[in-house]
Amino acid sequence: MSPSVGGALDARVVRRVHPGLTVDVSLKLGAEIGVLFGRSGAGKSTLLRLLAGLDRPDAGRVELAGEVLFDLRSGRDVPLRRRRVGMIFQDDLLFPHLDVRGNVGFGLRAESRRDRERRVAEVASAFGIEHLIDRRVETLSGGERQRVGLARALAPRPRLLLCDEPVSALDLGGRRTLLDRLRDVPRVEGVPVLYVTHSPAEAITLGTRLFLMEAGRIAAEGPPAEVLAGSVRAEFSHLEGVRNVFSGRVAEHEAGGEWTRLALDDGPSLVVAPVAAPIGSRVAVEVDGDDVLLALGPIAGLSARNQVEGTVEAIAVHGREAEVLVRVGGLRWLVSTLGSTPAELGLAPGRSVRLIVKARSVRVEASPA
Amino acid sequence: MNADLGPLWLSCKVATAATIGVALVGLPIAFILARFRFPGKGLAAGVLALPLVLPPTVVGYLLLLAFGRRAWLGAWLERAFGVVLVFHWSGAVLASAVAAFPLFLLPARGAFEAVDPRLEDAARLLGRGEFSVLAAVTLPLAWRGLAAGLALAFARALGDFGATMMVAGDVPGLTQTASLAIYDAVQVGDSSRAAWLSLGIASIAAAALAFVQRTLPGRGGRP
Repeated sequence: MSPSVGGALDARVVRRVHPGLTVDVSLKLGAEIGVLFGRSGAGKSTLLRLLAGLDRPDAGRVELAGEVLFDLRSGRDVPLRRRRVGMIFQDDLLFPHLDVRGNVGFGLRAESRRDRERRVAEVASAFGIEHLIDRRVETLSGGERQRVGLARALAPRPRLLLCDEPVSALDLGGRRTLLDRLRDVPRVEGVPVLYVTHSPAEAITLGTRLFLMEAGRIAAEGPPAEVLAGSVRAEFSHLEGVRNVFSGRVAEHEAGGEWTRLALDDGPSLVVAPVAAPIGSRVAVEVDGDDVLLALGPIAGLSARNQVEGTVEAIAVHGREAEVLVRVGGLRWLVSTLGSTPAELGLAPGRSVRLIVKARSVRVEASPA
Repeated sequence: MNADLGPLWLSCKVATAATIGVALVGLPIAFILARFRFPGKGLAAGVLALPLVLPPTVVGYLLLLAFGRRAWLGAWLERAFGVVLVFHWSGAVLASAVAAFPLFLLPARGAFEAVDPRLEDAARLLGRGEFSVLAAVTLPLAWRGLAAGLALAFARALGDFGATMMVAGDVPGLTQTASLAIYDAVQVGDSSRAAWLSLGIASIAAAALAFVQRTLPGRGGRP
């Protein structure tokens, strides 16, 4: 199913959480994955609770698939049980007194026994948990539990799926599996998915649209890689993990399996440690600003694999530390240095520099092509 | 021996009826205390726990003040329903139920409080109404604590002496429960009757305790 108006979320919600934070957000989302991205305390989880109906907005209107769920003016407030909104949480919140089958079928009570069994089998196979169906939930691994939680949320065919950092407690393998299953949800179920995270890699590999949340408001909105690249500005540099985040594709594997070359979107290519993904796979790339060196020109006889030419755009000195913003093609890189370095190198906006990046300093997260 | 079983049988009957009454009244109260905030909640919880610390004779005396034939509640009950609690085994049920009530209420409230309210939210998001959430999530997760509380209340009701004595009196064959019969037997020097009754009542109470100990660990398991 393609993104359609019928399956869309159209919401404006306002709620004063505490004197320092008022969530005030307008948001539209079709049958695609929207990522709600921002530091903790920005109001992401509160926004999800408001959209789900777990908390009541002070003002606003929530419309889902053409039905008004909440409207302050008309006094309409559809009760939780009739909203048909699915949600998965950081803790899976499975019912400990039920087995996997009981959990997955929990939202299907209104259906006949046969329909219920058919739907449970259907979602169980879609999320790879058929073999666990008779297990008690405390015998499952974290990743299995989250897949059961996802199957449980989707079994009653919700009109919206909300995900509140569902993979943050999982190991890498469990994370990958859940994200792979989640990626297909808008297409298979035809519903919008709103996904809360503070991991740029998840945002880029999962989302088709990103909402950058700051202090209760949406500060920027657009394609994930674009918004995150734009967020690498001086005022965001204190945001841990939002340093240099780019999207790209796998371009080449070295025949001996020693390295992989990535082509960044709107940017240079980078040689990185081997990536276990076929050529053409989408990747998210993260480079810490502390791991990038600056040089005034090309350097011969250097072990680092990448020398990327760029132009200094801005310099911010905060006491003993400084941050240099360098434009490379359509991308901006943030490089951390000592406070005195920009002056010693004679850096100034417009000056051409080389970024030196070791293959091993680049963190890569691949998603299937 | 036949005469010995009468008081034991009456004790079991009274304690069972009292436990059922405690459950019917105590379940909703425990749930409300665990889940809602309202003005005067602390005071209400304190008053409901009072029979735990008051001397049983004081509990019985207060009940007499309310349910005696000349007291307003007792007079009304007699006029409206023809029910007289005083010197009747139903008076023993009332007295032992009130004395046992806190022993159910405290663990029951704790059991409800231990159920993660986010699980109840998850059930609501999956389309369940309030009654269904209670029946399918809250009660199954709280049942161990509730069952333990009921067993404690049963044991307490089984052994009540002071409150029962004050309200129902000590009428052999009518309101003489095992605890009262033991006292009488000792008074008249019938030590074998006292011993047999004590053994009987102690065995039943010990069985209730064993039930509690089997039930309490591993809270939140399946029924």
